[in-house]
Amino acid sequence: MYRLSRLKYVFPIGLFVSLFLDGALSHVWAPLFFRYPYSMVSQLVLLWLVLSYFFEDDIEIPLIPFAIAAGAVYDLYFSGILGLFIFLYPLIVALTKVLARYFSSSFLSMIMIFFVDLVVFETLNYWAYYLIGITDVGFGDYLVFTLAPTLALNLIYFVVLFWPIRAMYRWGLDDGQV
Amino acid sequence: MQKFFSNRRLVLIVIILVVCFGLMAGSVSLRNRRNTPPIIQQFGNDIVGFVDSAVALPVNWMQTSISSVNGLMNTYAENRELKQQVTELAQTKVRDQTLAHENKQLKQQLKLNNSMTDYNTVTAAVLMRTPSSWQRQLVINKGQSSGIEKNMPVMSGSGLIGRVTEVNKTNSKVELLSDTSESSNRFAITLNGSNGKVVNGIITGYNASTNELEMGQVTAKAKIKKGTKVVTSGMGGITPKGLYVGRVSRVGKDDYGLAQRIYITPATDFNDINIVTVAEAASQE
Repeated sequence: MYRLSRLKYVFPIGLFVSLFLDGALSHVWAPLFFRYPYSMVSQLVLLWLVLSYFFEDDIEIPLIPFAIAAGAVYDLYFSGILGLFIFLYPLIVALTKVLARYFSSSFLSMIMIFFVDLVVFETLNYWAYYLIGITDVGFGDYLVFTLAPTLALNLIYFVVLFWPIRAMYRWGLDDGQV
Repeated sequence: MQKFFSNRRLVLIVIILVVCFGLMAGSVSLRNRRNTPPIIQQFGNDIVGFVDSAVALPVNWMQTSISSVNGLMNTYAENRELKQQVTELAQTKVRDQTLAHENKQLKQQLKLNNSMTDYNTVTAAVLMRTPSSWQRQLVINKGQSSGIEKNMPVMSGSGLIGRVTEVNKTNSKVELLSDTSESSNRFAITLNGSNGKVVNGIITGYNASTNELEMGQVTAKAKIKKGTKVVTSGMGGITPKGLYVGRVSRVGKDDYGLAQRIYITPATDFNDINIVTVAEAASQE
């Protein structure tokens, strides 16, 4: 039961800390993330959502409502353009659920699912902003200068944070439940 | 296997797409038209901004302490160099004061009130940067309650970095000059040619691969030297006159070979901004 486990506190706090860390890290490490002409997009929230789905075991965290909440905060506070991330985050959670059905739950298949999630997420983000007129970067430039560095950064996040987050979830699931 | 695109699901997807793009287009046009976002959006932003400072401030503090250790490393060499500059600066400062005083007296004689060179400043700290490659945008920790208004120019370090695009009660968003969107960096700027002619124009674009601002459609025949200082011209009445933008790095022709295009190296590194200064033109009553 989600309500009775420690995850009731761990999950939302982790979600919002990673959301705000995205912004803070992008600011602090801007010389690294946004070195011309490359730009890396830090997506710790996505990592947290996807890993939460993998580690939740039989405790069903209401991932989609939380994803919507995180997306709403992103839209309001981070970008100021409403209506994109509020749909994208839940979509990625749903996509992870669909993909996870077809693969075993080993580290390699998890990282592969996360890879697919990132590609879909960034491409939809680019496509939507392109249609709205926020950006006029060509698709080739997007692939080379945004998608590739972003994938590199977030896969490093995944490898570095996989075991710490798993340990956190084990602790959260351990004796908190009845 | 269940059919993926059943009728109901298809309808749902279409509705979501419509709502999504409707919201996006609506909020973009609303942002362009209105001075402040709707009250609900402001309220949400203020609360989130408050929570954000709990995460952002410790991270920023850590960065500051690391960079101060770094700064300690080359203090000696820097100090020697700076001492020299300080002695020169004292002279310049006194002269500046005298000139400002004289300027004020002359303006009084002409019965001229505040002109575009008079502006007040508000200092703010940067809370975070939008983690996106499509928006080069900062959130700063001052808003309406500190007197910040939309479209005010923002400076950091020695030069202009962007303008305020969204104002909430206690925080606001700043779009950097390096933003890729079309309207973000249109500032009226001016520079002096080597034969005494003044060249006026606007910033028309930003070249990310070389980190240069572009000033297009310059038809004046003035000769422009490399290294000429570029400042805002105060035309348009929102941006004060005389904010430092950068230096000319090269001069080229535009795509049709008819007009000149001037490339400007910005004075501030857009990736290293911690404290910003928002300039508001002094009221012209």
